[in-house]
Amino acid sequence: MKNSRKILFVIILAIFVSGCLEGKKAPSEPINLVKMSGQEMIQRLGTGEIAGFIMWEPYPAIAVTKGYGKNFIFSGKIWTEHPCCVVAYDDDWYKKTNNSDEILKRMALVQLKSVEYINNAKQSDSPDHGQLINYTLKFGGMTDPAAANMSLADVEFVYNTNVAGATTFIQRIQDFKIFDMTKWNQSGYKNASDYANSLITNDYVEWAINNKDENLSKLSLKEPVNIRYAYLVNDIHELPFYVGWQRGYYKDLGINISIAEGAPFQNGAFEMQNGFKANTVDVGSLGIPPVIIHRINSNDFSKDDARVGVIAGMNNEGSVIVVANNITSIKDLQGKTVGFPGPGTIQHVLFLMEAEKEGLTVSY
Amino acid sequence: MKIQTGKKGLIINLLSLIVFALLWQLLVILARKDSFNIPFIRLRDIPTPVETWIALAGSMFIQIHGPGFTYGIINHVYASLQRVIEGGIIAFIIGVPVGIGVGYSKLLRNLFNPLIEIVRNMPPMAWIPLSIFIFVSGGSIFIVFIGVVFPIILNTVQGVKSTDSRLIDAARTLGASESMIVKKVIIPSAFPSIMTGLRIGLGVGWMAIVAAEMVIRSPVGLGYFIWNMGDLGRYSEMVAGMIVIGVIGYIMNISILLLQRRFIKWGD
Repeated sequence: MKNSRKILFVIILAIFVSGCLEGKKAPSEPINLVKMSGQEMIQRLGTGEIAGFIMWEPYPAIAVTKGYGKNFIFSGKIWTEHPCCVVAYDDDWYKKTNNSDEILKRMALVQLKSVEYINNAKQSDSPDHGQLINYTLKFGGMTDPAAANMSLADVEFVYNTNVAGATTFIQRIQDFKIFDMTKWNQSGYKNASDYANSLITNDYVEWAINNKDENLSKLSLKEPVNIRYAYLVNDIHELPFYVGWQRGYYKDLGINISIAEGAPFQNGAFEMQNGFKANTVDVGSLGIPPVIIHRINSNDFSKDDARVGVIAGMNNEGSVIVVANNITSIKDLQGKTVGFPGPGTIQHVLFLMEAEKEGLTVSY
Repeated sequence: MKIQTGKKGLIINLLSLIVFALLWQLLVILARKDSFNIPFIRLRDIPTPVETWIALAGSMFIQIHGPGFTYGIINHVYASLQRVIEGGIIAFIIGVPVGIGVGYSKLLRNLFNPLIEIVRNMPPMAWIPLSIFIFVSGGSIFIVFIGVVFPIILNTVQGVKSTDSRLIDAARTLGASESMIVKKVIIPSAFPSIMTGLRIGLGVGWMAIVAAEMVIRSPVGLGYFIWNMGDLGRYSEMVAGMIVIGVIGYIMNISILLLQRRFIKWGD
């Protein structure tokens, strides 16, 4: 009895002492990245609880138009043409579906058509501009057309894949030790480029480019198929999916879209990857970073159950560091809390890159 | 709760844990080899005890990689414990006097009972959304407070009510004032019950803090750690964090039991 008391006392004391000692080892005045939803970021910036946030559009535009803060650094300034959201499919679905290649070719074509529509309609003198603003307001969960215009201007919508960008991202993920190294070693990939090439294929986009002037109904699948599609909630980066869906491009090509169970998701890293693993999502749009990270970290390599493939890009750039109006330098964020959508997201890596450039430390 | 003491008891305790770990390892390995399959459960995705142990050892302390650093489990434990202790102390300071008042005075009981009965049935987790809005900081301490205060109040009331009325009458006969009766008779008599309330309350508070840390944003805390690791697909670290939560809760419970036995020679 006496011994057990002593053991307990030592354990509790050890926890407290080591906690204190370790606390002293933490760099002084780091920028504290704290995970939160986009809505929370806006609200907390407005109340002054956080000094800033890094997030995808439309949240920066909403915060700025409400007067809660200012655009501080556009993600393209941190890393020009950085990859962001992509169209990806679940490998299990791919293997068990007879005409999966034909379906994916047409999904890439929808992406191309939607991006062309958006890029034309972005011009304020375009006859489709009003309609595009309506799509943006609805998909982004916004009410202010000024915020819709601002968020559209910040995003570069694309359909081409970005292997070079993905390779760089994988290298940065390795630098920042976000991969589970045991799992990375199990994967058998020689290097970042090898991994990026295994993940991304450009064949479907090439087919789409070759057929982009064809009438869509002429290219329609012989038998319509049902695709369980997942996307991220209010993410303007994924507007091409919504435009393609609303304008009937999928239907014209013989693809019936049904929204996957639980979608739209708050978090691409966790929820959508689980959807791919659990085979409840066939195709979806999400950030390429979660795809890259989970394909390694949460994969069972004997089954390769987290395998997904990327068939097209959705957007490059399109995220912003928004700060409170009294912040004038990134150094002003030291010792303060900054919202971010979660570890392993492109926003996370972008913020680390900016901090590295400025010689600052970031806790997450 | 009875603490298993003696060498034999300790051996049985350890054996049960070892058998559980072996069974866990075996089931996951068999599931990964497709030897069996349970519908709707991805047993193969659960990290094995060995993987969990390696992850625990690897994430114990602060790690610095380039400009970023992550807190170690030890820091998360420290932060969560600190919140539970702070919330627990506030709950104790408020809960004990309220409990004594409600237990001793019929008027106070009639006045406060309906409110206590309604509010205590709202689980601590139900307070999380509200506390996000009303607290600029310290929301998670408030959640712990809600978890701890009601077991303390209810057990204090119980302790006060079960004070031997002959002792109160005897004190009164000897000329003791009401405040003397409370101080010298009721509080000592109710103390074992108050400690039981604290022990139960801290258990609830510990569970509540982990849930609160998943929602109320803070860069450090066990709830936050588990959620972050899940986001990164680092399930071994996630499970290691869960086990740490269980172990700390167990240590807290036993510590208070031992304190009770050490300092309270009367009561239960």
